[in-house]
Amino acid sequence: MIRVNILLVLAVLITAFVLVHTQYQSRRLYATIDKAQGYATELDIEHDSLNAQRRTAATAERVQRVAKEALNMRAPSPADTLYLQPKPLDGGQP
Amino acid sequence: MSRRSIAYSDSPLLAQRTPLWRSRLILAGLAAVFLGLIARAAYVQVINNDFIMKQGDARMQKTIALEASRGRILDRNGQILAASVPGYGVWIDGADPNDPDLTQVARLLRKDERWVRQFVASRRNKPTAALSRQVSEQVGDQIKALQLAGVQLRREYIRSYPEGEAAGHLVGFTNADNRGQEGVELAFESQLAGQPGTRRVLKDRYGRVIEDVEEVIPPVHGRDVQLSVDSRIQFFAYDRIKAAVQKHEASRGSVVVLDALNGEVLAMANYPSFDANRRSTLRNSVMRNRALTDAFEPGSTVKPLIVGLALEQGLVRANTPIDTAPGYIRLGRWKVSDTHDNGVLTVAEVMEKSSNVGTVKIADKLSAQSMWELYSEVGIGQRPNLAYPGATRGTLHDYQSWRPTRKATMSYGYGLSASLMQLARAYTVFANDGHLAQLSLLKGGGGVGRKPVFSAKTTRELRAMLHLATGDEGTAPRAQTLGYSVGGKTGTAHKLIDGRYAKDRYRGFFVGLAPIEAPRIVVAVLIDDPRGKQYFGGLVAAPVFSETVQQTLRLMGVEPDVNVKPNIHAKGAKEPV
Repeated sequence: MIRVNILLVLAVLITAFVLVHTQYQSRRLYATIDKAQGYATELDIEHDSLNAQRRTAATAERVQRVAKEALNMRAPSPADTLYLQPKPLDGGQP
Repeated sequence: MSRRSIAYSDSPLLAQRTPLWRSRLILAGLAAVFLGLIARAAYVQVINNDFIMKQGDARMQKTIALEASRGRILDRNGQILAASVPGYGVWIDGADPNDPDLTQVARLLRKDERWVRQFVASRRNKPTAALSRQVSEQVGDQIKALQLAGVQLRREYIRSYPEGEAAGHLVGFTNADNRGQEGVELAFESQLAGQPGTRRVLKDRYGRVIEDVEEVIPPVHGRDVQLSVDSRIQFFAYDRIKAAVQKHEASRGSVVVLDALNGEVLAMANYPSFDANRRSTLRNSVMRNRALTDAFEPGSTVKPLIVGLALEQGLVRANTPIDTAPGYIRLGRWKVSDTHDNGVLTVAEVMEKSSNVGTVKIADKLSAQSMWELYSEVGIGQRPNLAYPGATRGTLHDYQSWRPTRKATMSYGYGLSASLMQLARAYTVFANDGHLAQLSLLKGGGGVGRKPVFSAKTTRELRAMLHLATGDEGTAPRAQTLGYSVGGKTGTAHKLIDGRYAKDRYRGFFVGLAPIEAPRIVVAVLIDDPRGKQYFGGLVAAPVFSETVQQTLRLMGVEPDVNVKPNIHAKGAKEPV
């Protein structure tokens, strides 16, 4: 009877330690995933922010200013535009 | 040893037997103490355990607010018009007003140093207060690096508006708490704003989250709003109106570009404008989106509607002669006059020359009720169906209150009022075989009304007349543009100042369509109070129309419908048809 009791006590102790260890592991992993999620959010925000910056650097206002002043360009007029008319593939009239 | 020769056990005291009750009393006493402890422990931990639980939770559990992001505002091609970027709020929590580093803080925040020190001194021993909010990330990081005691940097989001002043009125802005205050930011607040969530977590001693205690309430992020506006057209329209207002020394100007086929707003700009990225430019005087909020008397720009009504009712034809001699007509005490005596004109020429006398004579054949119905049908006097703050409905009095002179003045655009947007919308009837378009700021939100205002035949005739008005003999030859046929109507209205029409103060308009045979866009231009040498709508507003049409149709990929002598000398290139 005593032997059975000792075995049971041992079993209880082992499972208790395993439980503690598992809890510890789970919390550690949870902390890791939480940190990773936080990082993902940060990256999302940075992505949006960079997109906004890129847009600011490429607005029509800036493009026009740079094209006119730095590159001496001008907007094309219909006089120097060649309009291509798509023709059907079978060679018939459009 | 010898001095303590008497053994302890030999003490006579010990020889006496202790009475049993004494040991029992001790035992009972100890038992009572332990029972008391057990009872207390049970009370604290089992029966009334709230306090302990609360204290434990307070140390280990934290509620974290989950921020919801505000949606972006995009143009019809998905380009960003407004987006949230990270920034900081600078808060004061018991900082020392004599801290030498505050000089640096004031410089970075571009605030007066004395004011900053006063503010910090006034917040001593008081709850935290914001010194400055909506500070850019760059500046915030520099302040953070100073590591000042009592100066906190709290993360917050600031709205970035890449288009700046070109889309200032259209997009609007938010306040420091990211709530829409003006423009689209306010109009679509419910869609843009998110709903913050919360989560309750267990933290370890390093502050790391180790477990979610309760179910997480996820944040509902704001949705993006995609407008019908094209940022390139918006910029170009703004750029042109700005140049025209400056050139003609006008007080302000507005321009509206509509998709003629479905009423979607492609651009809506006013000058002077503001840049919502720089809060200091936000002054009340420039914040009104005047293209929508201000109604004014539209002057001659309503004449095509009146002529259309007369054509529709079969009262006149395009070649019906109208005698406009001697260049003026008396209406009771009033005298309505043209710029000069045009003699006998056809109805088409009345439009071409913008003859007030001719229009009054045509309107004389119409009933007041039918004129009122026409103006109502094209949306004058009715709030535009645009979810936009402060959009005016204009004024259109009930026809039963019209006196005969009122009816006459109504025919050439005095006695009623409309916003530039309403005027532009009214012109969509000339584009869609007489159907009025529904206005929309959202991509794909436009459409046309089911019941036509004019027949297809009438609109064709009207378009031909509008085209004449921009011809070399018309009032607005400067509306012409290379490659595209245009049509439209000028207007030059005296400004109503203190209840009287000012003799030398004007508004110049131009509202028109292009290409005139199969219109794709309606462009309306208003130049308010030009103080330069020129003030006629045909001179101040028509050139803005011309340039805006040219660029807009090019960006939309519309092929020119007017022959242009090509400058291209590529091998094998044929002249475009």
